Amino acid sequence: MPKEYEQATVVLPPKQKKIVDLIIKGYTDIDKIAEQFKTSRESLMRDLEELREKELLTITRETVEIFELTSEAERYLELGLPEQRVLKVLEKSGEIVVKDLAKAASKYSIPLTDKEVKIGLSVLAKAKAVKIEKGKISLVQENLSKLVDELSKMQEALKQIKEGKAPEQVLSTLIRRKLVKKKSRRKIYAYPTPNLKKLYKTGKIKEAPVITTLTPEILASGAWRTAYFKPFDLSVEPPTIYPGKKHPYLEFLDYIRELLVSMGFEEMKGPHVEMELWNFDALFQAQDHPAREIHDTYFLKYPNEGRVEDESLMNRIARVHEDGWKTGSKGWGYKWDPRRALRLILRTQTTAVSARTLYARGDGEYMCFSLGRVFRPETLDPKHSMEFYQLEGIIVGEKVTFRHLLGFFEEIAKRLGLGKIMLKPGYFPFTEPSVEGFIKHPKLGWIEVFPGGMFRPEMLAGLGIKKSNVAAWGIGIDRIAMTVLGIDDIRLLFTRDLDFLRKWRKPIVKMWR
Amino acid sequence: MPVIEVSIRDLERLVGKTLSLEELEDLLPRLKCEYEGVEGEYVYYEATHDRPDLFSAEGLSRALKGLLEIELGMPGVILRQEKVKAHVDGPTYRPYAFFATIHGLKLDNEAVKQIMQLQEKLHITYCRDRRKVSIGVYDLSKVKPPIYYTKAKPEEVKFTPLEFAEELTLKEILELHPKGIEYGHLIKSYEEYPLLVDSEGKVLSMPPIVNSEDTKVTEDTKEVFIDITATDPQAGLKVLNVVATSIAERGETIGLVEIKGTWSGVTPDLTPESLLYDNTLTEKVVGIKVSVEKASELLKKMRMDAKPISETKIEVKIPAYRLDILHPIDIAEDIAMAYGYENIKPEPYSPPHPGMPHPIEFFSKIIRETMVGYGFQEVNSYMMTNKKLLYDMMNLPEQPTVEVLNPKHENYSCIRTWLIPQLMEVLSQSKHADYPQKIFEVGDVVFIDETSSTKTREERHLAFAIADREVTLTDLLAVLKSLSLQLGFSYKLEPIDHPSFIPGRSAKIVVNKKNLGILGEIHPRVLLNFELNVPIIAAEININVLKEELISP
Repeated sequence: MPKEYEQATVVLPPKQKKIVDLIIKGYTDIDKIAEQFKTSRESLMRDLEELREKELLTITRETVEIFELTSEAERYLELGLPEQRVLKVLEKSGEIVVKDLAKAASKYSIPLTDKEVKIGLSVLAKAKAVKIEKGKISLVQENLSKLVDELSKMQEALKQIKEGKAPEQVLSTLIRRKLVKKKSRRKIYAYPTPNLKKLYKTGKIKEAPVITTLTPEILASGAWRTAYFKPFDLSVEPPTIYPGKKHPYLEFLDYIRELLVSMGFEEMKGPHVEMELWNFDALFQAQDHPAREIHDTYFLKYPNEGRVEDESLMNRIARVHEDGWKTGSKGWGYKWDPRRALRLILRTQTTAVSARTLYARGDGEYMCFSLGRVFRPETLDPKHSMEFYQLEGIIVGEKVTFRHLLGFFEEIAKRLGLGKIMLKPGYFPFTEPSVEGFIKHPKLGWIEVFPGGMFRPEMLAGLGIKKSNVAAWGIGIDRIAMTVLGIDDIRLLFTRDLDFLRKWRKPIVKMWR
Repeated sequence: MPVIEVSIRDLERLVGKTLSLEELEDLLPRLKCEYEGVEGEYVYYEATHDRPDLFSAEGLSRALKGLLEIELGMPGVILRQEKVKAHVDGPTYRPYAFFATIHGLKLDNEAVKQIMQLQEKLHITYCRDRRKVSIGVYDLSKVKPPIYYTKAKPEEVKFTPLEFAEELTLKEILELHPKGIEYGHLIKSYEEYPLLVDSEGKVLSMPPIVNSEDTKVTEDTKEVFIDITATDPQAGLKVLNVVATSIAERGETIGLVEIKGTWSGVTPDLTPESLLYDNTLTEKVVGIKVSVEKASELLKKMRMDAKPISETKIEVKIPAYRLDILHPIDIAEDIAMAYGYENIKPEPYSPPHPGMPHPIEFFSKIIRETMVGYGFQEVNSYMMTNKKLLYDMMNLPEQPTVEVLNPKHENYSCIRTWLIPQLMEVLSQSKHADYPQKIFEVGDVVFIDETSSTKTREERHLAFAIADREVTLTDLLAVLKSLSLQLGFSYKLEPIDHPSFIPGRSAKIVVNKKNLGILGEIHPRVLLNFELNVPIIAAEININVLKEELISP
C-alpha cells in the first residue's frame, strides 16, 4: 500500500467554505446554492471557479428545457381549471340557462369570468359531460367521472411544473392550451471531487480568518495569504477633515506682495505706534488739518510723546510749515509746534512709512512699497473698520515724473486683471499733481482704487530730499480683496469663526479664472 | 469732502450756456470735483478741501466758463470805496474781524440758498467748524453803518436769533438755539461773547454762533454786508476773499470797508498774487512738454492771468480766491488738469534694482507655510484689543500696554502684547466647529519701551494652539521639535510659573540663552473664562529672536 502522506489543510474564505458545506450536503444545482446565499448565481461564479482551481469541485454545465406556468395557469393552479369550476356551479344549480351561469357562479362565490365560462363549457361539451338543449345546460352523468379524473390529473400536473418537475402525460395538452411555456436554460452543477470528500472527512477544510485591518504583523507573518479581507463598505460617509490653510485674506496679501516684488519694489516697514511727525508733519499736513483731530486719529493714553534726535529735521519741517523755507512755497503761515509733532498716535496712513524711508535713504533711484495696518477711530460695521491694511509705494529718482506714476497704475491694473483704468485729477494733502484711478466694477460701476501723486516739494525738502522726484501711489487693497474673496462685510477679514475659515475657498484660484 | 448741491438752471444762468449732463459729468472731474449724480434739477458733486472756491454755484460757474472758453484769464472785479466803515474791538480769544460789501445784487430763492451753502461748507472745512473762522452775511439796507465788532456779557444784550420770533439774551441763545447748542462750546467758557452791532446798537450777529433774524438776506436783498471773524488773520482774510468774490458773481461791485481798532486796514484785499512760473517744472514733474505759450493758454482756462516772458518763464497772476496755490507745483497741476489727464501718456519705469520682500515678511512666510504643513489653520486678528482679554481672561496680572486715549469701542482700546488671548477668543467662538481645532497666527505685538524714539518696541510673534477632547503638551512639543528641525535651531525648555497655564505644565523656550517664547497647557480657570470645555495647549514664539538666531553666523 502506498504510503499516505499527510495532506495539508485547506483554508477557505468564509463564503467558499459555506459553498463547500452545501455541496457536501448534496446541493449540486448552483441556482439552489445561490438561493441559500440569498444572492444571484453570478455572484458565486468567481468563488466556484477558485474552488475548481483548487481541485475541490468539478463543474458541469448543460442546457436543459424547463417549463414555466403562464399567468393564466398560475390562476388555475390557485382556483381550479375553468371547467372544474363550471362543473361545481352546475352541480349546485342543476339545469340552468347558459346566460345565467355567471350569475349563479357569483351566487355560490365561485370566481368565474365570462371567458372562463366559455372555456369551461367548451371543454365540458367536447368531453360530452354536458349537453345543451334549447339554451339550457345539464350534466351528462355517465361521462362525468372519467372527465373529473382527467381534470384532477391536469391540476396535479400544473402543481408539479410549478415545482420544477415535468410530467410527460398531459404536458402537450397544457402547452396547447397555452398554460405552460417551454424554455431552455443553462444549468450549472458542482460536484465534490474525491479530494474534497477526503479532506472534508478528515477535517482538513477550514474557514479562513477575516482581516478587517491589515497590520504590519499580518504582512510579516504572511497570514494575509490565507486570510480573507473583509470587503470595504463604500457607502459609508467618511469623516470630514480640514487641511492646514493660510488665511485667505493673508494669502491674497502674500500674492500682492509677490506681485510688487516681481515689479522691482523693495518692501519697507515702519512702526504702528508712530509720532505725528512722521504721520502728518513730515507730509506737510498742517497741524490744524481736520484729519489730525480726535475723530480721525487715535491718540495714546500712554505713552504719549516720542523723541526725535535730529534737530535739523525738526527745523526743516518747522520752516516748510511756517513759511515754505527755501522751497518757493508760502507754507501754511502759522507757528509750528514741535511738541505737537512728537505726540504719539496709532498711524493713520502708511505714508508715514514712505516718509521714514525717504528720510533714511535720501536722494537716489529706488522703488519701495509698504503693506501694513493703519488705524482710524471708526465703529466696526460691514463697511468700516478701525484697523485695516494699506498698500502704498514710492518711485524715487531724478527723472521720475507723473507719467511714470500713470504707467505704474496701468501696469498694476493689468497684472491684477482689473481691466481698463480711468484717471482723474484728485486731491491729497501731500501730493501735487494728484490723481485718482478708477476701475470698472461689475456691480458697483467705476470705483476709486488707485490714489496717487507726486510728493510736494515742501514734504521732500523737509525730509532732506534735494534732487529727486517722488511718485507716490496707493491701492485700495481691501476693496480689491473683498471683490476677489467674494465677501461684502469687511469684518469677515478678521473673523473669529473657525468653521467659516475652514469652508472659505482659496482666493488665488478665483484670481486666475 | 463736502458734497455740493447746485441747481442746473441756476448754474446755466451763471455760465450763460445750457449744460448737458454728459458735459457736467466730463467737466466736474477736470476741477477735481467728483460727479455724484442728479436729482430733479439739482446736480451733486464732491468738491475737494483745497478748492473752497468751488463750494457753490457761483465759484463753479466761474471755473466752468474758463474750461468752456466762455471767459478766459482772471475774472475781473469792480471795487469801489464804500461809505461803510467798521470798528474792531472784539474779545481777545477771537480778535480778528474783516468785512466787505457787495452791491447791485439780483437774488432769488436759489441764489440765497447758494449763499447759505457756501457759508455752511466753508464753516465745516476751511473754517475748522467755525473755530478758526466764521462767516456772516447780512442785508446791508437793514443796518446803519458804521459796524462794530465788539463783545458783551452773556446777559447784557438781547436779540432775535435766526428762525426765532422773540429776543433772547446771549446766554439764552447758547442754551436754546440749535446753533447755540452746537457751537456754544467755542465761547461758553469766556466772560464776554463776541458781538457784531451797527451804529444804533442793532445786533447783526453773535459770531461765531448765529446771526439775527432782523438782518437776514432775502430774495429782495440788493446789497449785502459780509463779516468774517477769526482766530487766525490770514485764514480770515482768505475766507473773506472766497465769500466776497463768489457772491459778487451775482452782483456788480465789491465795496471796500475801512477798519479801525485793534486791527486797521481796508478789506477785502483782492490783489492777485503774482508768481514767476518756471515752465521747465511742467516737464520735470508732470513729464509733458508744453511751450510757454501753450501753458499760458491752459492757465487762462483755469482762470489765471498768464503771460510768457521768456523761453521758460511765465508771469502768472492768481485770483485772490484761489487758496490752494502755495508753490509753483500747484501751477504745474493746473496746467496738467487743463491739458487733460487723458492726454498725458503713461510711461513705464524700469526698476533700478530687483524687488525684495521685507526680511521679516519673508521669514514669516516660511514659518506660516510650515505651520500650514502641520495642519494648522491660519487666523487673522486685529492688533487692537482690550486689557480684559489680554490679562483678566488669561488669569494674568496687568502689564504695561499701549492704550488709546479715544477708543470708539472698549473692545478695541489697546494694542495686543501677545497673541494667545486672541487664539483663545477664536476657539471660544468656534465651539460649533469640529475638533480637533489647530490654529495659528503670525502677527505684530507692541510693548512699551522707554529707550525707543516712539517709546514702544514691536515684535513679530507666532502663536499656535490645539484644542481637542484629548490633547497633551506632547502634541505641542512635537510641533516645536519639528520646527526646530525644519528651520535648524536648538532649544531648551525651562519650567516656569505662568498663571495662564496649569502649574507644572508650562515652559520657557530658550535658544542660545535668549527667550524664544513660552508654551503650556491652558489653566482650567482660563478655559472657564472663555467658556471652553476642552483642554487647550498653546505656544507663543518671538519670530524676531528666531530670525536673528538663524541668520547669525
